[in-house]
Amino acid sequence: MSSFHRVFTTKAVLMTAAALLFSPARGLAQTSNAQAKAAPSTSSASEKGERWLHVRVICTDGKGDTVRVNVPLELAEKVLPAVNHDRLHNGKVRIDSSDINDVDLHALMEAIRSAKDGEYVTVQGNDNDVRVAKEGNQLMIHVVEKGGSKKSQVEVKVPMKVVEALLSAGKDELDLVAALHALGAQGDVELVTVKDSENTVKVWLDSKNVAD
Amino acid sequence: MMLLAKAALGVSGALVAAGAYTFHEGIIRVDVDEFRAGGSHVHLWVPAAMVPMTMHFVPKHHLCDAANHAREFLPVAHALFKELKNFPDAEFVEVKDGEQHVQIRTHGGKLQIDVDEPDEKVHLLVPLSTVDDVVGQLEDSAPGA
Repeated sequence: MSSFHRVFTTKAVLMTAAALLFSPARGLAQTSNAQAKAAPSTSSASEKGERWLHVRVICTDGKGDTVRVNVPLELAEKVLPAVNHDRLHNGKVRIDSSDINDVDLHALMEAIRSAKDGEYVTVQGNDNDVRVAKEGNQLMIHVVEKGGSKKSQVEVKVPMKVVEALLSAGKDELDLVAALHALGAQGDVELVTVKDSENTVKVWLDSKNVAD
Repeated sequence: MMLLAKAALGVSGALVAAGAYTFHEGIIRVDVDEFRAGGSHVHLWVPAAMVPMTMHFVPKHHLCDAANHAREFLPVAHALFKELKNFPDAEFVEVKDGEQHVQIRTHGGKLQIDVDEPDEKVHLLVPLSTVDDVVGQLEDSAPGA
C-alpha cells in the first residue's frame, strides 16, 4: 500500500470512528429537543378506538382551580385486578348486606331491567327533590338540593348494561372490571354531573385522550 | 499508523457500544429549582439504564426492606407501568390550585411529572421501562418472592 493510501485510510477510519462516537450524543440531544417541543396528540387514541374516562372538577370561586383526570378504560381494567385493599380484591368489591339494609340488589336490578321506561321514584321535599327513572336503557338519578347555603344539582346517568355487569359477580360482590368493560362498549356518555355553589364536577366517557 | 488506526477504531467501537447500551433506555431527568434564599437548584441527567444496573449493587437486605414497605403497591405499580407503555401520550392528571400547577403525563415512553409553584419548580422525566424494571426488581426482592 502506498504512503498516500495508508494516510488516507487511517484518516477515513479515524473520522468514521469519531462520527460513530458522537452519534449517540447527537441522537440524545435530538430526543431531548423533540421531547421539549412535542405535545400529547389526540389522534392516536381515537384511531385505536380507545375509550377514556374523564373527570373534571372546576372550582367556581373565581380562582380557576381545576382538577382534570383522564384514564383509559382499558388501563383501568388491567390495573384494577392488581389492587387488593380492604374490600376490593381482583377487581371486585365485597359488599356487606348490612350496608344495603338487606336489599337484594340482584332482584331489584332484574325488576328494573324487565320494567318499561318510566319514572320510578319521585320525592319532592323542602330540602331535596329526588327523581329516579329509566330512560332508553339508562338509569337516571337526579337530585336537587334546595335547602342550606350549598344548593346543588346532581345528575347520574348509568347505562343498564353497566349496572348488569356490576352485579354479575355474585350476591355479595360488585364486579368493577366487568362494569368498566361494559362501559367501554357504550358510546360517548356523560355519567355524572354535579353543580353546586362552589364546584362543577363532570365525569364522562369518550374516545379522546384529552379533556375538553 | 495502521495499528494506531485499528486501536482507535477498536476503542471507539467499544465506546459506541457502551454509549449505545447506556443510553438505549433514554435518560432520567430531574430538575429542581427552589426560588428562595439558599434554595437548591438540582439538574440531573442520568442514563436510565444505570438505575436497574445500580440496583444490583444495593445490599439485598435494603431492597428486601424497601420491597416489604411497598409490598401492597408493587403489583399495582407493576401492572400500571407495564400497561402505560402501550398507550398513546396523554395527560393523566392536571391540578391547578391557585398558583400551583401539577401535571402527570406520559410522553414518548416516558413518565413526566411537572410541579410548578411560585417558589419551587420540580420537573421529572423517567422512562416507563425503567420504572417498570425497578418495580420488577423490588417485587423480586420482596420476602417470599
